[in-house]
Amino acid sequence: MDHSIMIICEQSEGRILPVTYELLACAARIGGFYNSSITAVLPGNTPDTDAISGADLLVINSPGLAEYTAEGWEKAALLAAGELKPNIIIIAHTSTGYDYAPRVAALLDGSCITSVSGIELSDGSIRYRRSGFHGKLDMLYKEGKQPLVITVLPGAFPAYDQQAAPGMVRYMNADIQPVHTSNVHFSISDQSNTELEHAEVVIAAGKGIGKAENLELIREMAACFNRSAIAGSRVACDNGWLEYNAQVGLTGKKVSPQLYVACGISGSMQHIAGMKDSKTVVSINRDPDAAIFKNSDICIIEDLEKFIPAFIREAEKHHEGRV
Amino acid sequence: MKILVCIKQVPDQESRITVDPEKAWAGYAENASYWINRYDEHAVEAALQIREKLPGTMIDIVSIGPARVKAAIRRCMEMGADQGFHLRYEHEDYLSPSIKSRLIAEFCRDRDYDLILTGVMSEDMMSGQTGPMTAARLGIPSAASVMKLEVDLEKQCLYVERELDAGHRCFMELKLPALAAVQSGINRPRYPSLSNVMRAKSTEIEEISYDDSLLDAKYETVEKVLEAGSDRAGLTLQGSTAEKAAALWQLLHERSLI
Repeated sequence: MDHSIMIICEQSEGRILPVTYELLACAARIGGFYNSSITAVLPGNTPDTDAISGADLLVINSPGLAEYTAEGWEKAALLAAGELKPNIIIIAHTSTGYDYAPRVAALLDGSCITSVSGIELSDGSIRYRRSGFHGKLDMLYKEGKQPLVITVLPGAFPAYDQQAAPGMVRYMNADIQPVHTSNVHFSISDQSNTELEHAEVVIAAGKGIGKAENLELIREMAACFNRSAIAGSRVACDNGWLEYNAQVGLTGKKVSPQLYVACGISGSMQHIAGMKDSKTVVSINRDPDAAIFKNSDICIIEDLEKFIPAFIREAEKHHEGRV
Repeated sequence: MKILVCIKQVPDQESRITVDPEKAWAGYAENASYWINRYDEHAVEAALQIREKLPGTMIDIVSIGPARVKAAIRRCMEMGADQGFHLRYEHEDYLSPSIKSRLIAEFCRDRDYDLILTGVMSEDMMSGQTGPMTAARLGIPSAASVMKLEVDLEKQCLYVERELDAGHRCFMELKLPALAAVQSGINRPRYPSLSNVMRAKSTEIEEISYDDSLLDAKYETVEKVLEAGSDRAGLTLQGSTAEKAAALWQLLHERSLI
């Protein structure tokens, strides 16, 4: 086997996080094509780690890797790459992954494709799919200089669950100390939003609502449904229209209600990542090309300020009829 | 202190895109309007806020692209930046962030920037690579998705707060020089003041030449651009506003959602 794939585990205090198995599934698909060896690299400071199925595990231990720093992870990745000579390096597109993955690509002078959502095998080569232009277009990339560093969107690949024998586990003791980074600490802020987390109907506001006053329309629409909550896109929260604990998306909350109504949301992949498991999706947007329509069951090309009042009147009509 | 803000000019979000299979690249309608990448506008604002606290700070702007990019650089100067630099690249095609970061790193050498700021990603390509790659090529630390930053000149460090998944935060100090790729929630970009607009008018944007051979490196390429795939059935409601409202109510009612 000449072709080698290296994945870098997503971990928390030495524990391998589930998204790692999605990276493994991606690696297995590419590996099946190139007949590659697959090694998972675990940077950290853990004496004992269980073997994993489908890949060998290289544990890089150093006291300086006890917690994540871009610097530490970059050094661990370079050390592992020197050892494994990978053709492809696979990293999760998470807040740690996109922080250091491009640095690794630059330092190895390889190619880099971030937020990969799929791979396509054809004509004897692999194309990497990712989304851009506010989610309106998909782009197919071809690798260039090796190694190729890719970051894979969480949720893009189903977790690896094949019954493969556990791989070998190897430990490397390294002396990695961040020198440019200090005083690292974390805050687990209370971002809970019980109403949103348990809602069966979510009415979400995006940039398209235009102003804070229009949030009242969103609230009134939510009031038409039982067990409903309101939410917002990143822009809606950045604009201060909603608290960040109501943000749905890659860096916000992941919701999967019975009904998700996207109001004036463009539909970038960052937002889709937070609501794609909703049972029914309705989108209201005046831009007929908005990417959100590609992810909707019911599409309404309308101005929100006109449509929502019309819908509320409709709902009231039926409500009165019933009484 | 000297700050560099790297900006990109991107097409307005609602501009119509046309896909040209021949060029394997997306084009915009001729009347498309271009704007500063929203995330980069936050980076400019962050630089201006640092200068307010540390008078004497110089803020430079750099951007890569065709002649139209000058308008975006000029806008940053209208917001209050001191100088603008333009690396001309005429083609409307895919330029790898690996190459962009090499051009910017080359530009930075001997200019002694203490701090480099940029947006966390561009609105069109959304790769988020150019910033961290530039820092890596310069051998300086970087942080992506920064929600707060503060310079401590005495300690020669940059205090940053990064946004993590699910709303958590990470705090750290980076030794200067450093690069921060800022997230949109960090601040509210200001509107240009009249005096800055006047000043920007009379300030030349300097064109910087670079080694063309840097463009030849064979990094990843975009081979095909296509309309985003559809994951759901996508029934588009027709008729007047009231008819659509009635149709939506009916559909939701049939599914026992209302």
